[in-house]
Amino acid sequence: MNLRPHHFILWGLFIAGMFLMPELVGKGTLRTMIFACYLAMFAISWDILSGRTGYISFGHPFLIGIGAYTTGILTRRYGFPVEASIPIAVLVTMAGGLIVLLPALRIKGSYFALVTLAVMELMYQLVPVVRPDLTGGTRGISRLPALTRGAENGYYLAVGLMLAVALMAWLLMRTRVGTALWAIGMNEESVRGSGLSTTRLKSFAFLVSAGVAGMAGAFYAHYLGTITPRAFFDINVLFQIIVAVLIGGAGTIVGPIIGAFFMVFLLEWLRPYLPGQERFFVYGLIALVIYMYQPRGIMAIVEGAWTRLRGARS
Amino acid sequence: MTMALEVRNLVKRFGGLVATNDLSFDLAEGESLGLIGPNGAGKTTVFSQVMGELRQTSGSIALFGEEISSLSTAQRIARGVSRTYQVPRPFSDLDVRENIRVGLMPDSLRAMIFGAADRDREDELALSVGFTRQDLDRPASELSMGDLRKLEFARTLATGAKVLLLDEVFAGLTTGEIAMIAEVIQDLRHRGFTFLMVSHDLPAMEPLVDRAIAIERGTLLAQGAFADVLADEAVRASYLGVA
Ligand SMILES: Nc1ncnc2c1ncn2[C@@H]1O[C@H](COP(=O)(O)OP(=O)(O)OP(=O)(O)O)[C@@H](O)[C@H]1O
Ligand SMILES: [Mg+2]
Repeated sequence: MNLRPHHFILWGLFIAGMFLMPELVGKGTLRTMIFACYLAMFAISWDILSGRTGYISFGHPFLIGIGAYTTGILTRRYGFPVEASIPIAVLVTMAGGLIVLLPALRIKGSYFALVTLAVMELMYQLVPVVRPDLTGGTRGISRLPALTRGAENGYYLAVGLMLAVALMAWLLMRTRVGTALWAIGMNEESVRGSGLSTTRLKSFAFLVSAGVAGMAGAFYAHYLGTITPRAFFDINVLFQIIVAVLIGGAGTIVGPIIGAFFMVFLLEWLRPYLPGQERFFVYGLIALVIYMYQPRGIMAIVEGAWTRLRGARS
Repeated sequence: MTMALEVRNLVKRFGGLVATNDLSFDLAEGESLGLIGPNGAGKTTVFSQVMGELRQTSGSIALFGEEISSLSTAQRIARGVSRTYQVPRPFSDLDVRENIRVGLMPDSLRAMIFGAADRDREDELALSVGFTRQDLDRPASELSMGDLRKLEFARTLATGAKVLLLDEVFAGLTTGEIAMIAEVIQDLRHRGFTFLMVSHDLPAMEPLVDRAIAIERGTLLAQGAFADVLADEAVRASYLGVA
């Protein structure tokens, strides 16, 4: 995508708005926004791999979970400072993902999805039983050291991280690697026929994606203060990540962010009316309707409206 | 004379079907060879084996004297051989320029990330196969079949390969477009490029090749000067349906 002046203006307004937010809204809303920021990071991470190359990962909760558990175990069981535990968590996530999921990238798309799903479920079953002294079993790990005090600071940290991740992803996707990854999603044989090693490209996208997932997962764990297997290795987490990307607009940077905020706030607004699991049903339904109306997501709907608006004026 | 391509006793079986049957041929550097045969003769399958997209059942393939059978497609392209596809395989959501950009990319992550795209070269390649400046920003999904073939050709040229395998580059093109592509091919021949060409449009192919080989059911029928091959009894029987 080519940058136009209005892109800078929109981003400027968005960033200014995000940083003014604590002045405008209550603590409860702020906490919802923090969750949305982390979900946005997970979604960007997912999009770097799956939104571009078309290799659908069902294993991102697994990657996020490795990041969370690594920093949890290092800080709570071994007394590591977070300055060390978080970078280690990122590396462990990349390495763990590499060993478990990378071989799956060599096989075609749908099998990749199944393998990643299996790995996630396996982790959910394994984590509580393997070394429960470290993982805390089904009860997980609690009282992780907090990185910030109060909702406001937690919010600023989350927004800052999200913007950093978005910027990094944007810079990377502007390069020829970004073009090549996108091309893989359209026609992998042709990319290979253009002389590129697609396995290497996919592995690279996977590593970057895993690094972001591990980093966001680790920070998120410190924000929550507790880690349980169900909170991470869960199909609902996966569902929210994928829906956020598809609804916002896959293959873009803004899309996953918009999608994450839209879905998180939708869930919040539905809460008073539908306190139970039915909420997820309505949520899924709304996602489906948007997706059917515009498969390229809210981003494309907004862009379309913008174009029409300009067309109407001139 | 250096051999650009040496194919020796190539065999490819798909279950019971023998798609390539003990096929051997040479392609000298700078030479242009026409590969003809009826539908299903096994022409495309030969290309796929040379490129490593299909593994041969047996036999050897050497590029500039080096056996390439164990190399990946990317490695073969890096050594100078590249192909077009009979059914164009564009990147639909990328525009003409970006499609060509993928062909131009070096197979190195570092270079892809830190090096910039060569816009001038992209445009030059696009214009050389007959695109206009207005076409450059059009997504491939909007192109006609003729334009897709031109794009396929440009992306193949972009890989920098000096041995080009062209599979039906003229199909679906207008007479004007055929003339334009033919001119590009002639120019490349003068510059020392090597060609292996498949086309059902024999009159368009004739001036572009030095010689021809004919196959049927994967088996070599005849080889030699284009006119002689076409006049060959067996070739006429199989290919032209003339007894
Ligand atoms: N992947 C495959 N699996 C099984 N059979 C195949 C495969 N690819 C090709 N064939 C068969 O091998 C034979 C040769 O096919 P090929 O596409 O090489 O012919 P061709 O000479 O290129 O034909 P055309 O002129 O129609 O393009 C055909 O009988 C085809 O059905
Ligand atoms: Mg063919």
